[in-house]
Order: sequence, then C-alpha cells, then structure tokens
Amino acid sequence: MANSNIACIIAEHVTMHFDGKMLFSVQHLSFSQADVIYLQGDNGSGKSTLMKLLAGLSIASEGSITAHGFEKSHWWRKDGLVGKALYLHQHPYLFDGSVKYNLTFAAKQASKNKQLLTKRVEQAIEMAQLGHLLDNSASNLSGGERQRLAMARAWIIQPTLLMLDEPTSNMDKPSQLLVLDMIKQLKEEGTGLLLSSHQACGLTSLCNKHWFITNKQIKVSDDAPHNSDQTLLTTMELNYAN
Amino acid sequence: MSEGWLSLLQQAFSLLLSFDHDVWSIINISFSVSFAALLITLIPSLALGFVLAFTQFRGRWLVTNLVQTLQSIPTVVIGLLVYLLLTRNGVLGDLKWLFTQKGMILGQMLICAPVLIALSQAAFSSVDRRAWETARTLGVAWPKAVYVLCRELRVPLLLAVIAAFSRILTEVGCSMMVGGNIMNVTRNIPTAIALETSKGDFAQAIALGLVLLILALILNFTLGTLRGKAVPRSH
Ligand SMILES: Nc1ncnc2c1ncn2[C@@H]1O[C@H](COP(=O)(O)OP(=O)(O)OP(=O)(O)O)[C@@H](O)[C@H]1O
Ligand SMILES: [Mg+2]
Repeated sequence: MANSNIACIIAEHVTMHFDGKMLFSVQHLSFSQADVIYLQGDNGSGKSTLMKLLAGLSIASEGSITAHGFEKSHWWRKDGLVGKALYLHQHPYLFDGSVKYNLTFAAKQASKNKQLLTKRVEQAIEMAQLGHLLDNSASNLSGGERQRLAMARAWIIQPTLLMLDEPTSNMDKPSQLLVLDMIKQLKEEGTGLLLSSHQACGLTSLCNKHWFITNKQIKVSDDAPHNSDQTLLTTMELNYAN
Repeated sequence: MSEGWLSLLQQAFSLLLSFDHDVWSIINISFSVSFAALLITLIPSLALGFVLAFTQFRGRWLVTNLVQTLQSIPTVVIGLLVYLLLTRNGVLGDLKWLFTQKGMILGQMLICAPVLIALSQAAFSSVDRRAWETARTLGVAWPKAVYVLCRELRVPLLLAVIAAFSRILTEVGCSMMVGGNIMNVTRNIPTAIALETSKGDFAQAIALGLVLLILALILNFTLGTLRGKAVPRSH
C-alpha cells in the first residue's frame, strides 16, 4: 500500500489542545498525492488548525506528523514538514507590493527552468484573470480578487500537496469557476488536495475522500461526500457556466 | 534686531557654503561617530528585537522592561556611566578611550541600542503572523523568511533606525562628558552648538543647527515617500 513514489503526509496519534482544552484528536490520517479530500466540520471545530498542523506551521500538542516520499531538499535546509504541503489561508495574506510582485515572489520559490516559469506566471494571470490588476497594489484588491491572487500564487508553485481553506468563500460564481479550473488542472498535474468549504460548491464533486470533524474526532471515509443539495448546486453551477 | 538675525543667518550660510574648515570638521566628526555607533548596534539590536517579539523565554519580561527603562535614561547619566567605566581607574580604563571618538561611539551605542531594540520589537510584534506562515509554506527557507518579514515591515523598521540615529546625532550630555568637546577630535554638532552659544558666537551655532534641520527635513520627506499614499484599509 505504501508506495514510495507517492508523496504523503502521515499524522499518528495527534491531539491538539488550546489552553488546556482539547480541540480534536485523531489516531491516523494520511494525505497523499492521489487524494482529493473534502474536510468538513462546524465553525470552530478545528479545520484551519488541522491544516496548519499538516503544513508544519504549528506544532501538535501530542503525536507526530511526518512527510514521506518527497524529493530531498538541499542538505543545508532542514525544514522538516514546512513547505511540503502548501497551505492557503482562509483569509489569504498578500505581500506588500503589486499583484505582479506577489506572483513573481511565488515564481522565485519554484526552482524550475526560468522560461517555463515565465510561461507559468503568464498562464496563471490568464487563468485567474488578473491581467487588468497586475500593477495594482495587492492591499487594494477586493476579497474575491485576493483569493484569486492567492490561488494563482499557489498554482504557480505547482505543489505536491495543496490545502485550500475555504478557497471560494468570497467568490461569485464566475470566480469560483476560474478557481475550479485551476484546481482541476493542478490535480491532473499530480497535486494532492485537501479542501475545506462550508458551501457545497463545484469543488466538492472533485473529492474522493471525506474527513469529518465531529465530537472532537476526525472521521475518515473513503467515499465521496454525497449530499442532495450539493448535487443540486453543482448542476446549477454547470448551467451557469454554459 | 531683525537685521541682526538676517546677518547671522547670512554668516551661517556662508560658513557652510564656503566649506569653513572648523564647521565641516565638526559636522564630519558628528556623522562619523554616530554612523559608527549605529552600524555596530544595528544588526544585533534588530535581532534582539526580533527574538523578543517572537519567542517566549524566561526573563523575556525582564529584558523588555529593562530595555524600555534604558530608553528613558537621560543621556548625561549614560555619559556618567561611560565616564566611570573609561576613567583611568575604571573597569575599561586600560583602553584609554576617555576623550576619544571611540569613547563617544561606546556611549552612543548605549543610547542607540535600547531605542532600536524597543522600536523594532514593537514593529515585529505588529506583524501579521500570516506573513511568516505564507512565506514559509510557499517554500521560503527561514533566513529568507526573516528578510521577507523585514521587507513587509520596512516602514516601521526604518522609522526605528531614523529615531535611533537622530537621538544619538543630537544628544549633548554623553558626548560632552565622554568626548570632552576637543576641537578636531571630539567636538561634534551638539557640543559645538552648546559651546558657541555660551560664547555668544551664534553664526557657527546657527550653521550647525541648520545642518541638523536640513537633515531632519530630508529624512522625513524620504520616509514620507516611502510610506507612499498607503492608507489603512479593512478587509
Ligand atoms: N492560537 C490559538 N490559540 C487559542 N485558541 C485557538 C488558536 N487557534 C485556534 N484556536 C481555537 O481553536 C478552535 C478552532 O479554530 P479553527 O480556526 O481551526 O476553526 P475552523 O474549523 O477553521 O473554523 P471556521 O469554520 O470558522 O473556519 C477555535 O475555537 C479557536 O478559538
Ligand atoms: Mg477555518
């Protein structure tokens, strides 16, 4: 089962406490490149916290979270978990500067062929429809535009694993469809995805696994989340697109 | 009287523009001593400000309050302390730094560091945690992530540097006591202004005062452009 060519992050016996109160605990979770996981839970159940743990941005109170099957980074970089699974904040942070600055910032991190990168940045601008905003200061963007820019920034990196925390919460339908396209393309390129979302949206139909946080436990099920209003909404979206 | 003022101003400008040796030697000493003190303290102070803002360790509270206290100690008291350290029987007496530029630099470092530490700690504490998290998760190694944070905070950090620099460039007490106001050696702008004014030689004092005024204008206008037209915006 453990295929060494597939990159994954494994959490074992993880518990998270804040100020002595337990938020959640889980025996075993694995998030691999082949997964598209839909993470569900009530407000405050710990979805964002779980994603930050898996991203290596905060440390679990107990248990271990480890990365397997990733390319070895340079010997002088002992990063551990950070940077393995890219986490997109619920309210994304944009660096002080223009939209273009934020995109090239990402491009500089992806250590690939320069020409390919320039092309990828151009493609990202096209896909996220940011062309008319390139020289605007990132701090003046609207909520939905900010999320689109953050998505484009992640898309440029083409991460092995990507976690999207409510990626479409501020978006109108056309923007949601743009983002959906980008996510689909990443999936085809081999990125594993973990999505959290309140509203069922086009994203949910992509998912092949379901994590559900209830009663301070994370339930894992291998079937796609099915829910009648979700199907309804998805059909509505498709109609909207056509 | 107004004619007296006008001619004093005229004399002051001609001292500056004719590159009067004494005046420019004083300006040179002021800037080289203060720059040296700033350069030596800059990186360690910012690093300490960073550590105080981001880490929890035993004694953090104590260090923070000590730094705040040091910031408000009058410069003559620091001058007294450095004098006692450097005097022939003092702990650092063997260095023979009393009444030298090195002694002045030491004194100004002690004045400069607390300002830099306290203001950079405040700047680093105000940063959005997501800036660090975003840089790290996008794959930036931690030393460069520190740089990214400093870039996000460039305005408050520059303000800290300017505040520290103007405090040491304009302080009289410590320079007077430790430097001794020796012409061509340790006489800097503030000690010269104090002396010339007491002698009634206002032209030189005004010339030197003008230098500080022009510098303040340049620094603040530069900072103004750096801030840009940015206005706080809610999301
Ligand atoms: N750094 C922290 N210190 C203390 N409590 C925290 C911290 N971070 C999160 N919490 C608490 O943990 C709980 C879960 O927060 P989290 O942001 O993970 O929820 P969420 O499931 O993402 O909710 P939402 O659906 O509203 O985004 C909240 O009650 C929050 O107050
Ligand atoms: Mg959340």
